[in-house]
Amino acid sequence: MRRVVTLLLATVLSLSLTGVALAQGTLRIGMTASDIPYTGGQTDNGFEGFRFVGYQIYEPLIAWDLTRGDRLAPLVPGLAESWEVRKDHPTRWVFKLRKGVTFHDGSPFNADAVVFSYESIKKKDAPHFDSYGSGQVSFRLASLTGITKIDDHTVEFETNKPTSFVPYQLCYMVIVSPAQWNKVKDWRTFAEQPSGTGPFRVTKFVPRERLELDANKNYWDAKRRPKIDKLVLLPMPEPTTRLAALRSGQVDWIEVPPPDSIPQLKGAGFQITLNSYPHNWTHTLRLDKEPWNSKLVRKAANYAIDRVGICKSLLNDTCIPATGIVYKGHPWFGKPKETYSYNPAKAKELLRQAGFDASKHPAKAVHLISTSGSGQMLPLAMNELIQKNLKDVGIDVDLQPVEWNTLLTRWRAGFHTSDNEGLNAWNISWNFLEPWSGFGRFFHSKSVVPVAVNTMPYINPEADKLIEEAERTFDVGKQNETLAKLHEIIVDDAPWIFIVHDQNPRALSAKVKGFVQPQSWFVDLTAVTVK
Amino acid sequence: MAITTTLPRELDAVAGAPMSYWRTVAWRLARDPATLAAGAVLVLIALSALLAPWLAPYDPNAGSIRLRLAFVGAPAHLLGTDEQGRDMLSRLLWGGRMTLVAGLTPVLVAFVLGTGLGVLAGYVGGLTNTLVMRTMDIFYAFPAVLLAIAISGALGPGLPNTLISLSIVFVPRVVRVAESATVQVKGLEYIAAARASGAGVGAIVRHHLLANVLGPILVFASTQVSLSIILAAGLSFLGLGVTPPAAEWGLMLNALRQSIYVNAVVPALPGVAIFVTSMAFNLLSDGLRDAMEIRA
Amino acid sequence: MWAYVGRRLLLAIPTLLGASIIVFAMVHLAPGDPIAAVMPAESSQAEIEATKRAYGFDKPLPVQYLVWLGRVAQGDLGRSIATRRAVILDVRDALANSLVLALSSSLLAFALGVALGLLAAFRQGRALDKLASAIAVVGVSVPHYWAGIILIIIFSVQLNWLPAMGAANEPGVLPYLRHIALPTVALSLIPLGVITRVVRSAALDILSQEFVLALRAKGLAARRVFTHVVKNAAPQILTVLGLQFGFQLGGSVLVEAVFSWPGTGYLLNLAIFQRDIPVLQGVILVLATFFVLLNLAVDLLQTLVDPRIARH
Repeated sequence: MRRVVTLLLATVLSLSLTGVALAQGTLRIGMTASDIPYTGGQTDNGFEGFRFVGYQIYEPLIAWDLTRGDRLAPLVPGLAESWEVRKDHPTRWVFKLRKGVTFHDGSPFNADAVVFSYESIKKKDAPHFDSYGSGQVSFRLASLTGITKIDDHTVEFETNKPTSFVPYQLCYMVIVSPAQWNKVKDWRTFAEQPSGTGPFRVTKFVPRERLELDANKNYWDAKRRPKIDKLVLLPMPEPTTRLAALRSGQVDWIEVPPPDSIPQLKGAGFQITLNSYPHNWTHTLRLDKEPWNSKLVRKAANYAIDRVGICKSLLNDTCIPATGIVYKGHPWFGKPKETYSYNPAKAKELLRQAGFDASKHPAKAVHLISTSGSGQMLPLAMNELIQKNLKDVGIDVDLQPVEWNTLLTRWRAGFHTSDNEGLNAWNISWNFLEPWSGFGRFFHSKSVVPVAVNTMPYINPEADKLIEEAERTFDVGKQNETLAKLHEIIVDDAPWIFIVHDQNPRALSAKVKGFVQPQSWFVDLTAVTVK
Repeated sequence: MAITTTLPRELDAVAGAPMSYWRTVAWRLARDPATLAAGAVLVLIALSALLAPWLAPYDPNAGSIRLRLAFVGAPAHLLGTDEQGRDMLSRLLWGGRMTLVAGLTPVLVAFVLGTGLGVLAGYVGGLTNTLVMRTMDIFYAFPAVLLAIAISGALGPGLPNTLISLSIVFVPRVVRVAESATVQVKGLEYIAAARASGAGVGAIVRHHLLANVLGPILVFASTQVSLSIILAAGLSFLGLGVTPPAAEWGLMLNALRQSIYVNAVVPALPGVAIFVTSMAFNLLSDGLRDAMEIRA
Repeated sequence: MWAYVGRRLLLAIPTLLGASIIVFAMVHLAPGDPIAAVMPAESSQAEIEATKRAYGFDKPLPVQYLVWLGRVAQGDLGRSIATRRAVILDVRDALANSLVLALSSSLLAFALGVALGLLAAFRQGRALDKLASAIAVVGVSVPHYWAGIILIIIFSVQLNWLPAMGAANEPGVLPYLRHIALPTVALSLIPLGVITRVVRSAALDILSQEFVLALRAKGLAARRVFTHVVKNAAPQILTVLGLQFGFQLGGSVLVEAVFSWPGTGYLLNLAIFQRDIPVLQGVILVLATFFVLLNLAVDLLQTLVDPRIARH
């Protein structure tokens, strides 16, 4: 019997063995996503997709400098060497492209590739239109209306109005290889054998399990050629699973360790990296329906949240309380009238003024939340506390958890679909890396779904005016002043429940060296080594 | 579980004198320490769940986030506090209530519905039997856990949906047992005699049939309670069952998982509670089966 | 006997069809437009129209069912909303992983359960019997997902002996065994309990038969009694093993979730939270089919071993 069992087991095992040996200098990362972000170019899963897939395989024309942790990450030339607005045509932008860059498949990067990538997002009737990728990114490119190839290394973008936001939009459009696409003629297949210009190239793709990438030895920027040989990305939506995987040596790096485990991780010799970055974790409210159509109720909710309790006690100092879109000290903060503190008595009073009453007219809402995901921190535990905070002042919130990418998909579709009709808010975390992401896409009346993601919808002519003014202003200092005024208005209107700003905690094994945690959502993995 | 029930060989003799049979059963139970202990534990659990509103020192949903993960034996919190700072003792008591409701209701529903359908199929036979039993076979095509999770997944989270999905798992099982018991009893001589003497269907079913088939069905149903509790808590553990902030053992187990390295004892408590309850039900059903001499 | 085999085979067909109707109905149970339930949100109008035509969404339900069944019969389970890959590919890979896990845990449970059950029966009423029975009760009572978490804490985090999650990516038997070890142990607990109990009671039955008692009284070699018991209890034990294997396949959802073992359970759990209805349908349909066929095989095997069953 024993022999039979052994034989059977051995046969089964030998049948199911696959894989390759661990190379030297391999960095294995446990991500919070439940699946491998879309590898076909315009990636999904929010900014974690950009962080580990979008910006590692591919590159945008204008990129982020992520090499320093002591300042907000600035935009720098990426695949474009320079760009400028045409003096004679304020709605046309000329981009000079970098020469001598090749895609992973060996084909050259040129103006055709930029036109091809742009059309894959914007031109619905093109054979290479990527409906999925387009859905992920088109709302970030809302000002762009057209592209013209001038010569092999020059393109011209056209915008719908004179706008200073063009760089803030183009930094999210990555360039894919037309030659590789033409080989397979299908985005699904392309995603399994993708080709970009980035510092890493895909070598193995196992859906839902792992993505393996090798260093791109021919990367155009010699200073940024990866020091590691190999990068492995593993989706691990469950925080305890990430922690166990790190502690048992299965991965070298995890995103968002359970905050409770941080002291113990430090004690065991792991590195914990933290940095503030333009992040906002909120409940975005639906303004055309009770109860959030009332400004008083929205303010009540903002006064009901124990932000210090969340950051200090629940999250072990891995976040800072948020009382607006941006944090105090940021050039856009201004001087808002309201400073939302934890004041349940005031919240109850505001709710009473709004005409709500626990027995006769209770305030009820359904909020869609995620189970995990990029920038979402610890959504289940945090939302349970928020639910309790709101309940304490008399607002009953029913939480509906879904997978992160599903939440993003539903959010982009807006509240007025059959799935979303019953909802009153979504809990999604945002970036305010630049004015378009921080304000333009959310608070302009023309950004209503499906153009961009003003899902609430927030309609305020004064806000419209300030956003347009900021968009026309090319002087950063003046633009900041305008945006600070806008911020004051929005904080007072409270279209969101402002909750916290994440600090992007990561836990790295002691073997990982050379990583700088930038003040950004994104990371530069090229300087990292693994001993 | 692969449990087939056959009627005890002695049943013919016993059926004539049901009182003495049940007296024998009680006599045997009284001499089985494991079953008695399990029964006592269950009585305690049931009482604490029932009396949770009076026994619990705190509101299970109230607490201060600043006092989270207090250790067992902390002042004012006998069993510590959970990851949100809520009193563990209160949550375990209330959680037992929810867990028992979620675990017992489906078996109860299955017992009632399953007995009805099974006795009907077994007694009437013919086309009715074929229809009922083949329909049940379809549900048997799915492994239990898979069926429960799939239905819950399609319906969405929440206690009512958990009860529905688990009931769908257990009804066909009870129907099978009830049908086979009915068919066997129906063939016994005294029922044939009762029929021949012109007794009505209702009387036969009431006086002869049910008296004989309820025993095995009850024993079978009791073996399913433990599984049902583990499954109900498992659904909540996955986020498909009872929803936060309700106290429920599976849900508590999942939420406390992340804190296991700060405070190892408190996160273990809901798991221990599920384990002890499920084991007590298993021991009780074992004892019941032995005492009633029903082979499983 | 052949008549019985034929009847049993015929009965499996309506069962499978019934199961397929339930799986088909899942799309229509989901709230909202059924087409939305099976298409990614960013699908183009052309893609939606093509799917509508291919699946006959404009036709009455019974026709839709037949169209769908026809496609399923050809191995077309639709496309995953989340990955946009053919569901059949995702399910195939996951099924292979689940089969291995179900097999390894069934075998572990079988080996330990048979040993414990026999030991208990031959030492009925003694300490060893009590211990075996206790292990059996614990096995069927412990929530296996909780046991899994505890195994991870002890063997992965504290002792650092075994990986905490996922399947092996390195080649070789050893890495594979290391990855599958903990999920196997966690998943074997329930069948270990069940098998121990069945083996014990089957063995006790045979031991209590009069001629065995007589043999033992005559002082017959313990070995021969043992052989006799094993031979006679075998059909029942094999049946339980077969059934348990089936349960393992469907019952591994929770264990796979705890260990991120990339099997059908993990896939199903992911699909539920992604509202990926085609994957949900695919997993359930494939597992149900497998389960029905397995039950059939167990039945037929049992009939072969013990033809009296056919007459029953």
